[in-house]
Amino acid sequence: MDRNLLRQSLTFHGESLLNKLKCEQAENPDFQAAVSELCKTTYESSGEPQSNPLVEQFIARKADILFCPEWKTAALQDEEHEDEEAAEPCAIMPPLELFMEVSFDERRAMLYRDLEKGDLVVGRINNIREYGFFLTLLCMAGGLKRDIEDLELSALCHIREIPSTGSHDDPLSYYQIGDFIRAGVKDIDRYQEKITVSLQQASLSPSLEQIKLGVITREELPIHYSRSVRAASDSSMTYECILMGCHGYHNPSVVDYLLEKVGVSDIHPPSMMRGLQSKLFIEDDFASAIRKKQSASWALKCVRAGVDHFKHGRHVEAMNEYNKALEIDTNNVEALVARGALYANKGGIMKAVSDFELALESCPDHRNAKKYLCQTLVERGKQLEEQEKLVTAEGLYRRALSLDDSNPEAQEALNKITETIQKSIRLREEALAKEQEKAKSVPTSAEKLRKILKEEKRMKKKRKRSASSASSSSSASGNSSLSSSSSRRRSKKKKKKRRRSERESKRHRRVSSRDSRRSEEGKSEKERKEREEEEELEWYPAPPNTSATFLNQKGGPDFGEKVEERMKEKDVERRISQLYSLSAASEDEESDSSRREKKKGEREESRGRRRKNTLSRSPEKEERRDKSKERGKEDNRRNSDSKRRSSLDENRKRKVSCSSAESEYSRKSNFKSEYSGNSGSASKHSGSRRGSDSSQRGSFNGGRYENKGREEVWEVEEVKTEKESRKWRAEEESRSGSRSEGGNNKRLERGVTSASAERPKKELPANLLDIFNKIAKFEKEKGGGPKK
Amino acid sequence: MEGPSSRSSHTQDRPPCPPGRRASCDGAESDHARDTKTHFRVCRFIMETGVKLEMRSVPVATACVLYHHFFERVSIRSYEPYLVAMSCLYLAGKVEEQHLRTRDIINVSHRYFNSGSAPLECDKEFWDVRDSVVQCELLILRQLNFQVSFEHPHKYLLHYLPSVKSLVNRHAWSRAPVAETSWALLRDCYHGAMCIRHTPQHIAIATLYLALNSYGVELPVGEKEWWQVLCEDVTKADIDAVISDLLQLYDMEAKCI
Repeated sequence: MDRNLLRQSLTFHGESLLNKLKCEQAENPDFQAAVSELCKTTYESSGEPQSNPLVEQFIARKADILFCPEWKTAALQDEEHEDEEAAEPCAIMPPLELFMEVSFDERRAMLYRDLEKGDLVVGRINNIREYGFFLTLLCMAGGLKRDIEDLELSALCHIREIPSTGSHDDPLSYYQIGDFIRAGVKDIDRYQEKITVSLQQASLSPSLEQIKLGVITREELPIHYSRSVRAASDSSMTYECILMGCHGYHNPSVVDYLLEKVGVSDIHPPSMMRGLQSKLFIEDDFASAIRKKQSASWALKCVRAGVDHFKHGRHVEAMNEYNKALEIDTNNVEALVARGALYANKGGIMKAVSDFELALESCPDHRNAKKYLCQTLVERGKQLEEQEKLVTAEGLYRRALSLDDSNPEAQEALNKITETIQKSIRLREEALAKEQEKAKSVPTSAEKLRKILKEEKRMKKKRKRSASSASSSSSASGNSSLSSSSSRRRSKKKKKKRRRSERESKRHRRVSSRDSRRSEEGKSEKERKEREEEEELEWYPAPPNTSATFLNQKGGPDFGEKVEERMKEKDVERRISQLYSLSAASEDEESDSSRREKKKGEREESRGRRRKNTLSRSPEKEERRDKSKERGKEDNRRNSDSKRRSSLDENRKRKVSCSSAESEYSRKSNFKSEYSGNSGSASKHSGSRRGSDSSQRGSFNGGRYENKGREEVWEVEEVKTEKESRKWRAEEESRSGSRSEGGNNKRLERGVTSASAERPKKELPANLLDIFNKIAKFEKEKGGGPKK
Repeated sequence: MEGPSSRSSHTQDRPPCPPGRRASCDGAESDHARDTKTHFRVCRFIMETGVKLEMRSVPVATACVLYHHFFERVSIRSYEPYLVAMSCLYLAGKVEEQHLRTRDIINVSHRYFNSGSAPLECDKEFWDVRDSVVQCELLILRQLNFQVSFEHPHKYLLHYLPSVKSLVNRHAWSRAPVAETSWALLRDCYHGAMCIRHTPQHIAIATLYLALNSYGVELPVGEKEWWQVLCEDVTKADIDAVISDLLQLYDMEAKCI
C-alpha cells in the first residue's frame, strides 16, 4: 500500500475514514502493517464538511485496490509540446482556472509554487538593458499549462543566456521591444518572486529539448493561448463550447490517443470490481488462445478424415481434406505430415520434403515428420543418383543422416555414393587427359558444323516459304526469323531440340511398330516431355561458345558420364560380338534398346540442364533454388520414372550400356539393311545404306568421340535426307503399294501413317519427317530381313 | 440461444424463477431486484468477454448500452439475456469499428459458461448458436430503430483529465493514480442501467470527482468549482446521484457474484 497516498486521503477525509478502513481492511496484512503508523497522526475531520459516508465506505472497501502501488500503471508522462503536431489529435483546451475565475493572488501563488526550472514560457520584451532584456510573461508553452497573462509576471533574460551568433556583435542588437520570445525557465526565486529565463537550448527539460527558443511570430503562439484570449474576451465561450468546437475532439481515435497519452491500458483495463481484476483473467480464456486451440482441433478432424480417405485409396479426397485442414490451421503439423506423406506416395517428392520441413519447423521433435523426411530424402537422393546428380544426392543423404543418424538406408546409400564419386573423380581425371589429346581435331569439326548450320538455315528459309503452317513448328520458325547476331546460338539450340525430338520420334516409331496402342499412350507423355525440354531451353540460355569441346569440358559434377563412356567402350565390343549371333532375338533386343533410348534421352536432358547450371553456380545450390521451378516437372516425370524403375542395380547397368546400345543399334540396322538389301530393290538399299553409313561412322569412332561426333553426324544426315526426301517418299509410296503381304509391314504402315497424322500436333521440324521416313524404312527392312 | 451452454447458464441464473414469481405477493418488487441482478451478471459477462476478446473500452461500453436499451424496451423474460449480450458485443464491434468474429464471441462465451471446457466443434451446435447470434443482432437493431451509435463519457473524461491535471502540482498529480481510477470507475458504470440514465458528461465528471476525492487531491477553488466549469448544467446533486448509483453497483457485486 502506498502509505503517503493513504495518508493524503486520510488527511482529506478525516478520522471516520480511518475507522472504516480499520473495519474493512482488517484482513489485509498490508494495511495492518501500516495502520499503527497511520494512527500516530491524528486526522481532524477538517476535510470536507459534507464528506459522504458512502464514499468513505467505498474508499475503505476498495482501499487495497486504490492504494495498491501496482494500480498506478501510468508512468510519469512527459508533457508534450502541443505545437509539435500541426494536426490537433485531441482538443487543446485553455487552462481551466481561466473559467473558474480563481483569484489573482491564489493563481500567482500557485504559479510560483508549481513553476519549475526547464518549463517553457512565452513573453513579450518590454525593456532592453545592457545586461539583458525583460519579458512580460504571456503564457506557458510547455511543462505546465496555466493562465498567467494577467499575473503581471516579469522575467529577466541575462545577456549571458542569449546565444551569440557572431563574436563581435552585440547579441542584444537582434532583439526589439515588443518581440515575442520563447524561453526556458532558468531559475525561480520563490521568496522574492523573481524569474530568470534563458535562450540557451540546454536550459530546457529533456522532453522539450527539440523546441527552438528565441523570437517567434504571432502565429507561432501556442494554440491554447489564442483560445484563452478569445475565451477571456467572450464570456459566452464556455469550456464546453470550446471543447465542442475543437477539431481534435471529433477525431474518431481521440480516445485511443488520449488513453495512450494518459498512460492507461485498454487491453488490460483497470476495474474496481473484484471480479474484473486483470489478474483473474487466464490467458487460455482469451479469444485468440481458444481460436488457436479450436483451429487445431478442427484441422485435426479434417486430417483424420483425410487419413481415412487415404487408407481407402481415395487420394484426391484425402488431399482435399489435408488442404482444408491447412486452410483452417496453417502450419498444422499433423496435416503437413499427412499431406507430405501423400505427396511422397504420389511421387511429389519435393512437395513432400517441403511439407515435412514446414512441419519440423513448427514442431522440431515430431517423430513421424522426421522419419518421413528422412525416407523421402533418401528416395530423392536415389532419384538424383539416377539422374547423375551425385553431389546433390550425396547432400541429401547427409541431410537425411543429420535428421536420423541411425537410418541404415541413408548410411548405406551415402557410403555407396561417396565411393562412386571418388571413383568417378579418378576417371574424370583420366578422361580429361584424353580430352586434351582430342582438342586438336575440334576446331575443324566446329567449322564444319557452322557451315552445315548455314546451309541448313538457307534451306529452312526456303522451306518456310513453301511449307504449310502446320508442318513448320512454331518454335523453329520463331527461331529462324530472329536476328542474325544470335543466330549461331539459336541454331544450336534448335539443333539440340531437333536432335532430341528426333531421337524420341525414332523411339516412338519403333514403339508404334510393335504396338500402336502403346504409342497412343506414349504420345501424350512424349509431347509433355517435349514441352519440358522447350521450357528448359528457355530457362537456361545456351552457352555462347559453340565449339563442340565445350560440351565435354564441363565443371565438376558430371563424372558419372565419363565412367559410362569408359564402360561403354568395353561394352560396345562385348555387344558387337554378341550381336552377330543375335538376329532371331531381335525383337527382344529392340524393346530393350528402345527402353534404353528413353533413358538416354532423359539422361541427356538432365545432363544438358546440369551442364548449364554448372556454368554459374554449384549444382547443389542450384538444386535448392530451382526446387520450386523443378517441382512441377519433377512431379510429372516421377510418374513415368517410377514405372520404369525396378531396381537400382539393374538401372545402373542399363544406363552404363545405353549409349553403346544406341550405336549398336545403328550398327545392327545397318547390318540388317544389308541383309534386306540382298532381296530388296537396289535403289532402296543404297538409300538406306547411305543413311546408316553416316550413323555408323559416328559409332565406329567409339564411345569417346560419340558426344561430339554424333551431333555432327546428325547434321550431316539431316542435310542429306533433306535433299533426298522427295525421292525417298516416292519410293516408299510405291513400296507400300507393292509390298503389303507381311503382317508386320501392315502394322508398320499404320504406324507410319499415324505418325504423320500426328505431325502437326507434335510440332516437329519438317525435315524430321524425312528422317522418320528413313527410319520407317529401316524398320521395314528389318521386319522383312529375318523372313527371307 | 441454443445449445447446452446457454441452457446451463439459464438455469443457474434463475433457478427458482417461475415458481418464485408466481408465489410471492410482493412479486413486482422482488422481480425488479432479480432483474437488476440478472442484468448485472449479464453485463459482467459482457465486460469479461470484452476483455477476453481484447475489445477496447468504447466498444464494450456500446455493447452494454445496446443491451440496456434493448431491455428497456422488452421484457427480460421474452429473450435470453446472454444471447442478447453476445449479439450486442457483435453489433458493438461493428458500430465502433472494431469488428469481431462471431466465432470468437461464441468461443469465449462457451468457455465462460463451461469454464475449462474444450472449444466447440465445427458442428450443428456451433452453427445454430451462430445463427441465433446473427438473428438476434437483427432483432436488436429493429428494437432500437437502428439507432445504435451513442455518445460515451470516455471522450469527455479523457479531455477533462489533462485540464484538471494542470490545476494541480505535477508531483501531487503523479503521486495519485487519478487517471487509472477514474477510468476504472467509468468502465464499471456500465454494469448497470445507470450508464443510460445519466448524461455522459455527468458520468465523466462524477468518476473524476470520485477518483480525486478518494485520493484526497485538492483542487483550487475560484468563483466556480472545476466541475462546474467543465459542464455548464451539472450540479453537485447530479454528481452525487451518479456516485451513489455507481457505489450501488459495487455493493451489487458482493451480492450477485
